[in-house]
Amino acid sequence: MIECQDVSFSYPASTLPESERQAGGALKHISCTIEDGSFVLLCGTSGCGKTTMTRLFNGLIPHYHEGTYTGSVYLDGKDTRDLSLFDISLKVGSVFQNPRSQFFNVDTTSELAFGPENHGIAEDLVRDRVKRVAAQLKLEPLLDRSIFSLSGGEKQKIACGSAAAIDPDIYVLDEPSSNLDAYAIADFRQLLFTLKSQGKTIIISEHRLYYLSGLFDRVLYLKDGEIEGDYTAKEFCGLSARQRDDMGLRPLDLAGLSEVEGTPQRMNEAVWTIKNVSFAYKHEPETLHITETSFPSGSATAIIGHNGAGKSTFARCLCGLEKHFKGTVQDQSKTYSRKERLKLCYMVMQDVNHQLFTESVLDEILLSMGTEDKQRAREILQEMDLLPYEDCHPMGLSGGQKQRVAVASAIASERPLILFDEPTSGLDLFHMRQVANVVNQVANTGRTALVVTHDPEFILRCCNYVLHLENGQIQESYSIEDSDGRERLLKFFLSDMKKEVSTE
Amino acid sequence: MSRELLASQKNNRGILLDPRTKLAVLITIAVFILGGSYEGIMQYYIIVLAAIPLLLLSTARKWKGAVLYILIFGGSLCLEMFGLSRLAGVANYIAVAIVGILLRFTPSVVMGYFVVTTTTVSEFVAAMERLHLPQQITIPMSVMFRFFPTVAEEWSAIGDAMRMRGVRFGGGKAGTILEYRIVPMMICSVKIGEELSQAALTRGLGGPVKRTNICKLGFHVQDVIFLLICLGAFATQIYVLAARG
Repeated sequence: MIECQDVSFSYPASTLPESERQAGGALKHISCTIEDGSFVLLCGTSGCGKTTMTRLFNGLIPHYHEGTYTGSVYLDGKDTRDLSLFDISLKVGSVFQNPRSQFFNVDTTSELAFGPENHGIAEDLVRDRVKRVAAQLKLEPLLDRSIFSLSGGEKQKIACGSAAAIDPDIYVLDEPSSNLDAYAIADFRQLLFTLKSQGKTIIISEHRLYYLSGLFDRVLYLKDGEIEGDYTAKEFCGLSARQRDDMGLRPLDLAGLSEVEGTPQRMNEAVWTIKNVSFAYKHEPETLHITETSFPSGSATAIIGHNGAGKSTFARCLCGLEKHFKGTVQDQSKTYSRKERLKLCYMVMQDVNHQLFTESVLDEILLSMGTEDKQRAREILQEMDLLPYEDCHPMGLSGGQKQRVAVASAIASERPLILFDEPTSGLDLFHMRQVANVVNQVANTGRTALVVTHDPEFILRCCNYVLHLENGQIQESYSIEDSDGRERLLKFFLSDMKKEVSTE
Repeated sequence: MSRELLASQKNNRGILLDPRTKLAVLITIAVFILGGSYEGIMQYYIIVLAAIPLLLLSTARKWKGAVLYILIFGGSLCLEMFGLSRLAGVANYIAVAIVGILLRFTPSVVMGYFVVTTTTVSEFVAAMERLHLPQQITIPMSVMFRFFPTVAEEWSAIGDAMRMRGVRFGGGKAGTILEYRIVPMMICSVKIGEELSQAALTRGLGGPVKRTNICKLGFHVQDVIFLLICLGAFATQIYVLAARG
């Protein structure tokens, strides 16, 4: 049992980006009791304190993150202040958001064994545990693999397994689905079912709610660091779409998405055509094989498909980042070589930190311009709602703002083709819509936007056309401006969830 | 995954050696071949030592490495024995230098290659723990092995972003270019490092109990043989020194 008694926490001001300082994930007067064996969903908009709350439970507050901390959290009656992280790690297992950075080992078996090893359990027992956990959570196919060869979904499953190997009673998960595709999410849901059926207490903070329906039995809705709603599963599911929307929460099931307001019609005769594409990474089989495909220019196209289908590779090839890419890219007038494509396309990367270099937002825009024009740069910043931040250091901005800086510099470089690599992973409803607006803006000004994404709601909000990649080939491509196309898109995302229901 | 510093997957082919044995062999080869002691019977013993990497590579079926090794080392050896005397002047000078370097360096480099491609990180860490190195050394070492491939990934992602934005060397601003690369790099690395340590701490790393390790380590017949060969090298060297002086 976990008890919070009037807990308040705020991070020291200096460690937060300027823009997040008001909200900043601080918690105010939280009091709640979480019973053994319950499945609790923490939800709310970004910066509402969800992540901070998970840190209270797994002991990172007060033992790792410093800040002003009052009140107490009791784990089975003991104050977390009096327990060391080591003690807490026996009771609470944690899974974090980023699958790239939560592994300490480079192979899966050692990773599963890592927790028990740290607790000094005898070698033979550790091996038994690894075997047992692998069997329970169906991880056997992943054993003895290199961590670097796993997909995001597989990594997240190993992260759960690694927490489970310590056999804690409580699991704390912080936005575990952020980087997963629809199929991996369905798989992950299965794993959560298994943990729940073992009678574990599970606390999960999440933006995407649809894959959790039927799992949670209590929902804590946080707003500005306070618990604003405490619902049972039944009450929560009874909320109308409108109410949920006002709370800034994503829908509980995908079927309701067909009513999402459509994207503006952007019928355009002109198309980009890609022909005779083949690409293989060194010493690996062919990852891309496309004879011919095209997508409309001056509108937004979504690239969908399962993890490993070749979506990101496709985007990289299009940008001219891969040297061994064979094939042609052409618009009405001309065919572009690889070097020309580097100047033709601009990719907004998943981790936008990789592409911001300069000391101020304005410099960032100027860097992208052929000839520096401060007037024009300010206009672009104005367009992207960034003008107030023109002198800020880009790294001090929030995630969404950084993304907009990247888009702004793409616009400044006057490139006709702008690609987004999973721009909405880990975003709440409000920020997702904001990104959708940005994409709409790009397309409305006559540029072509290509979006690699797993987010159906996002696609419906801003895209006109869908390219569906599977096994490196174009499986289908269709317009989603009419209702038929939209149904088809939703069917793709729903089919994955169904697959899982049938195996239950 | 050529970017990894040590293997991340087990390779069960060929002669399986304990990581400690591999290290001992590597050190022996480095001391005697790289260090260069070619006196008396030692010059024959060196051939035995130089043959070890070849034996290990071919039993592990790393044919490419083995063939390259034969070509480079064997070739240099032949050249030294038969070819050099026929060359004269500058050509001779250059050939002597190249052959000398190749003969001394290749065996150690190849052995090093064998060690890093056949030892997994967990084995290496386990071996260090068996050697009773303190946690203050073993934990940072294992973090380092985990961190290198990640840093390499970050590095190439930033490189891509720079190419895409047309920021490249030759613009006359070498200092700024370096800054563009280093700043995002540091910010990403710090973030990843922080997340890594959180993950490790919530899994109980650094607790007051002694860590265990599931890697099966231990000396077998093959280890004993190789260790004896290493010991033999030292013994021979001592004998040679004693006989001389």
